[in-house]
Amino acid sequence: MAAAEGTYARHRRGYYLYLVPGTIGFLLIVLIPQIANFFLSFTAWKGVGTPRWIGLQNYQKLLTDDQFWGSMIHTLMFIVSMTIIPVAIGVVLASLLFDYIRDQFGERVANLFRAGFYLPQILPITTAGVLWGWILSPVGVANIVLKAIGLGALAQNWIGDATYALPAVSLMIVWIQVGYCLVVFMAGLSRIDPSLYEAAQLDGAGWWQRLFSITIPMLAPEIFVVILTTLIAALKLFAPVFVLTAAGPDNATMVPSYLTYYHFFTTQRVGYAAAIAVVQMILTVGLAVIFLRFQARQQATE
Amino acid sequence: MMSLPKLALLTAASVALLTGSAFAQGKTFNIWHFEAADSSNGITFNKALEEFKSTHPDVTVNFQLKTFQQLQASGSMILNSDQAPDVLEYNKGNATAGLVASQGLLLPLDDYYKSQGWDKILNEGDLVLSKYDEKGIYGSGHIYGISVYGEYVSCFYNVDMFEKAGLKVPTTIDEWVADMEAFKKQGITPLALGAVDTSGQHLLASLAYTKADDTWIQNYQGLKAPLDGAPYLYAAQTLVDWVNKGYISKDSTGMKDPDAALLFTSGKAPMYVSGTWNLGSFSSTIKDFKWSQFVIPTPKYSVGSTGNLWVVPKGSKNPDLAAEWISLTLSPKYQTELANDGGIAIAADPATITNPVGKNAIAVFNQIADKNGLGFYPDWPVPGYYDVLNQKDTGLFQGTLTPEQFVEQIKKVYDDVQSSQ
Repeated sequence: MAAAEGTYARHRRGYYLYLVPGTIGFLLIVLIPQIANFFLSFTAWKGVGTPRWIGLQNYQKLLTDDQFWGSMIHTLMFIVSMTIIPVAIGVVLASLLFDYIRDQFGERVANLFRAGFYLPQILPITTAGVLWGWILSPVGVANIVLKAIGLGALAQNWIGDATYALPAVSLMIVWIQVGYCLVVFMAGLSRIDPSLYEAAQLDGAGWWQRLFSITIPMLAPEIFVVILTTLIAALKLFAPVFVLTAAGPDNATMVPSYLTYYHFFTTQRVGYAAAIAVVQMILTVGLAVIFLRFQARQQATE
Repeated sequence: MMSLPKLALLTAASVALLTGSAFAQGKTFNIWHFEAADSSNGITFNKALEEFKSTHPDVTVNFQLKTFQQLQASGSMILNSDQAPDVLEYNKGNATAGLVASQGLLLPLDDYYKSQGWDKILNEGDLVLSKYDEKGIYGSGHIYGISVYGEYVSCFYNVDMFEKAGLKVPTTIDEWVADMEAFKKQGITPLALGAVDTSGQHLLASLAYTKADDTWIQNYQGLKAPLDGAPYLYAAQTLVDWVNKGYISKDSTGMKDPDAALLFTSGKAPMYVSGTWNLGSFSSTIKDFKWSQFVIPTPKYSVGSTGNLWVVPKGSKNPDLAAEWISLTLSPKYQTELANDGGIAIAADPATITNPVGKNAIAVFNQIADKNGLGFYPDWPVPGYYDVLNQKDTGLFQGTLTPEQFVEQIKKVYDDVQSSQ
């Protein structure tokens, strides 16, 4: 018995070897830079030369930095466009494609739509950003179309006016995010027992009733995963802001990642940038932990 | 399944192969610049590169095209690594070339300046931005870089539209405003502007420089005193006034420079304030009308400077070849080439220039440089000021900032850096 356990343990030890490459990668790319960043956040450093230890000064400055707090508020708004709206649209579209379009027009049409909605996820964001820039520019497609159909009064300086810049960037983000939610939800839908829908239909439940009573509860695990991943993505949002508005006009679309980038590379306040990144990381990890706990409790009660 | 030691061996072998091939060559010479291939500088440098390759058949010349943004953002880190090339074009100014020079990352070029005979081509005025002291402030110290061209901000204008409207090229701000009013009355927005990019802050600074004297410029660019906001206040008030009167579109806050330039090159807007780096592309894209440029009327200072610098990193393996390369781009042949491609050659003989665009641009540059009127760029004194000015002037153009708030906010950033240096 003891001998058998010994071989088992030795046998198992062999498997640890397979963890080595992953661990090395994790150390090099995640852990060591993270620790270095944490230490840099207590220093004043220009990116070259020797960092100078200044204790908590960077964090003190952060507390009164309007640009930073503004970026935090914008992040809350971007959570709406990164997570809430795409998930809502994604659920409705997925079940529309799954049990209406597919039944009426066949598998191919449904797949075509799914691929179409997913396309923005495949396009490089820089390409998408340039296209959206052409659409939203004051002399761009959006305004030309509005004027052509007699709605010239609605034409706006979409990305150049603080009132509209954040919604305009959000629009592009929703366009990107919907495809991701849709594909995950459609995969989830194929897992649900069709007899549930048949029974509900026989009992006279309408489409919306079936959506709320069957689809959404049954999709809960997928919805949790999608909310978590998009929430994290929202907190680190950078590329759409970078390509579309460069955080402007007058910081109206500033986000923490852009602020980090700005201080790291242009003002050469590397320590300050590191402090912003640390705060951002704590928030992201904190949110993820709370969310995973919540999900675990939810599943336990089911 | 490959075992771990085998995998490690394979990796090691492939790494050895990769690095081995780089060292196997006799000599490699790495050179970087960020001039677009169709710009006057790009055309000239690429031609010079061909000659350089043919005169050094034993050397493998590797050229890489970078972007201005790339070096602005991560140049100091590249120079601090072993990936640095042998010679590269680097952004001039305290925050860029000055910073890396003060950190000892650049090779002083004083010896080459004499031995290569550059002292016979360039004058002291051309060298102001080549020298950096131990704190990285331009104007004195060792020579760390050589510029082979100049640049300045002026107003490009559509000669045909001016003639049709019966207007003259302005020589004072008042005449300029009168011209704009005349276009406005015809329903034309006179001034194309991309407030998101450089042209917003260049117009702002051009107007501020109309109220700037020697002391103000020296204090401002040298971070010698807290910001005296009066010239900026005048500039901000003027701009808000122009937006309200319709000389500048409120939509400019949603436009980048290429969008604004397109309004000018397509003949929709009669004027566009920007730098001479547009000369090459304007020459090739504008076919339908005659265009020219006028200097924004200021008492002395214009936004402009000598160009970006050839610098030699401390870790350069071939500093002599680097110096030879710099000499080549400074030679009469390529200086004339540059001027004929529409560029502002720093030391071209006007008699040899055949391209009227280059000839005119060089004449204007010399006119500014001869009265020591290069006021440099507004974003130079403070690292990151470029973005601050862009963000804040979009606030000004869209009306969310008053001129007073604008000055207060840019002053705060300036004074923070000024007091903590």
